[in-house]
Amino acid sequence: MRFGFRRLILLSLIPLISFTGCEQPQVKFVFSQKTNELIPEAAKPVKEALVRQFGNPFELTQFEGLPTDFGDVQGTVKSVESSGKDQPLIRFQATGLENAYDKLLGLPLEWTSGKGQGHISRIKEYDFETGTIAVEKSPEIDPQSGDTFLIECVRLQFGRDLYNRHCMHCHGMSGEGTGPTSRYLNPPPRDFRLGIYKYTSTKPTSKAQEADLARTVKEGIAGTYMPSFKLLTDDEVSAIVNYVIWLSIRGETEKKLVDELYLDYSETAMAERTSEEGGETREEVLEELKEYMELDFPDTLEFATSSVAEAWEEANLEDAIVIPQKPRVADTPESRERGRKLYLSQKTKCASCHGPQARGNGTATQDFWTNPATNEKYSERGLHDIWGNLLPPRDLHRGIYRGGRRPIDTYRRLYSGIKGTPMPAFGGSLTDEELWDMVNYVMSLPYDGNR
Amino acid sequence: MGKGWCLFFLFWPIAAVVSCAMAPFVGWSFPYNNAQAASNLGIRIDDLFYIILIVTAIVFVGTQAVLVYALWRGANNREERATNIHGNHKLELIWSIIPGAILLFLAIYQMNIWADFRIKKYYPEAAVKDPLAEVTARQFEWRFRYPAIGKKLQQKPQPDDLYSVNELHVPFGKPVMIQLRSDDVQHSFFLPALRIKQDALPGLQIPVWFEANKPGTYDLVCAELCGWGHYKMKAHVIVQPEDEYQAYLKNLTQKQFYDGLGKIAAKDTGTESEAVEK
Repeated sequence: MRFGFRRLILLSLIPLISFTGCEQPQVKFVFSQKTNELIPEAAKPVKEALVRQFGNPFELTQFEGLPTDFGDVQGTVKSVESSGKDQPLIRFQATGLENAYDKLLGLPLEWTSGKGQGHISRIKEYDFETGTIAVEKSPEIDPQSGDTFLIECVRLQFGRDLYNRHCMHCHGMSGEGTGPTSRYLNPPPRDFRLGIYKYTSTKPTSKAQEADLARTVKEGIAGTYMPSFKLLTDDEVSAIVNYVIWLSIRGETEKKLVDELYLDYSETAMAERTSEEGGETREEVLEELKEYMELDFPDTLEFATSSVAEAWEEANLEDAIVIPQKPRVADTPESRERGRKLYLSQKTKCASCHGPQARGNGTATQDFWTNPATNEKYSERGLHDIWGNLLPPRDLHRGIYRGGRRPIDTYRRLYSGIKGTPMPAFGGSLTDEELWDMVNYVMSLPYDGNR
Repeated sequence: MGKGWCLFFLFWPIAAVVSCAMAPFVGWSFPYNNAQAASNLGIRIDDLFYIILIVTAIVFVGTQAVLVYALWRGANNREERATNIHGNHKLELIWSIIPGAILLFLAIYQMNIWADFRIKKYYPEAAVKDPLAEVTARQFEWRFRYPAIGKKLQQKPQPDDLYSVNELHVPFGKPVMIQLRSDDVQHSFFLPALRIKQDALPGLQIPVWFEANKPGTYDLVCAELCGWGHYKMKAHVIVQPEDEYQAYLKNLTQKQFYDGLGKIAAKDTGTESEAVEK
């Protein structure tokens, strides 16, 4: 035989190897490390609540009261196209889908009236131009003109699809910042689950505006691996931002729930409580937990989601945004000098982190700092951000402005600080003139000839 | 060898010629609906491409015809035996000199185009004197630095320089030059519609000039496999009339020196944050 079996087997192995060789990222929402450190009896209701409230990446769940746009669309059947017996699909024209664009393909469609009421069909074809939908044929449904149906989470799912295509490989499936490429990046991709974003236009205690996140997506962050996605349309960017905020809300809700439980019901707490000094038995602790779960947990959940949702809603109100009371002070040598003095003063203490020459090498970079979350010292010298990463203060001579290079961006960095980092907010302690003097000084540094 | 093989070898040159001839009509030819190059130099490069295409087509069809003829004759002739020869001096000379001459012709013929494209001495003077922008490639985006309106691009960044990302605006109908740099790895500045392609190397500043001849939005892509996100490194070059270009720069200036109180209409900037701020 000229072409041996051995060779045939080898050849047929090639596609098999190439399929199995590819590592696929896990398609599920992960839970935080703290959640996993809870005792199983406490972790279970938290996880169940999250799945109930937010679903999984395949099926996002909606619940009322979130500031994100789920994009439910309510449609009405206009006319049904006659279809042959052996046609596997039912085609009909529908109205009410004007805002759904062409994002309906593959989504479940729930019949809300007519014979099929309560049944769910899968959308197999959708023509945005003509408004024609095709669904699988099934004995339970028989669409007639006038029947209504509901398609849920259109907007959110559109955002999810775009996120998974463009953002997921760094930021991770659940926005936890550990996508497949993340291990190669420094600074590491942001973990969205704290709901904290560095570069915002809002006041120190407020969350980010949707517009801030949209700007970050469109412009990228200079000096980091976050590239610009300017070629996406405004609609696509806003859908991504919508989904990112939704992921943040999911993460924050989880954090709030776990924080309530962690002190008493983590594995470590359990070990302590049931040790000789603790003097409790495991059964006693579980009984107490059971009581908490029955009486207080629903309220905690309700409060957690509503407070997070409220915070995001408030950030988008007009008075959350930082707007200077006075226009920029003219960028003169005198103004820069006033700014330099402020920079070096005890009032601002800028030099202690950024260094007397603004090279990012202040004395603070040589200290061992305490982690506010764990109350333990970090193992490395230098400042850290809230995500636990080492964070060298910026060398202000480099002319790289991560949060944008407009004067207002620098003003806002000074006014509100940089959220999640040790950079403090000077909004209350410095006047507008002083802030603008500092802006003029800082923005002149890359060009002062002392490079 | 059977006649089946003759047909097999006959089929491929025919398929190649037919698919080449069909290419412009089914969108397999030049980018953007087989449009003419959007730069004058690009049109000359296209002409060069066609000359080479014609020469190679003639050679290809000729050699394939001879091959098929030889096969066909061999397949039909069972009596004649092959003779063992040790080369033919005359033949060797012919098939060395003719391709050599063709290559020499092409080499000399394209010299002007090459010089105009790559040798700085031959660049249009106006473009060299006043570079349009500095283009910095980095994983995975394109960053642009323009000089302030009325000023010239300096080697080092200036306080009033204008910056943008992934959107290079260019006036049309006049030659422009950019300074190409790379922040990290090797990238390649590729404007398929203008037939411009130049590698960007870390540590080097490479001048590239082009003259767009019709307004439009063209792709700027990275043609070097620069990393995992390479496919994302897509930007737009927006070719527009001089006055629109100046208006863009003016708008960019306004936007860049925005102090939170100025008057930037939301529609001009295309960002929503200003709309909220207003």
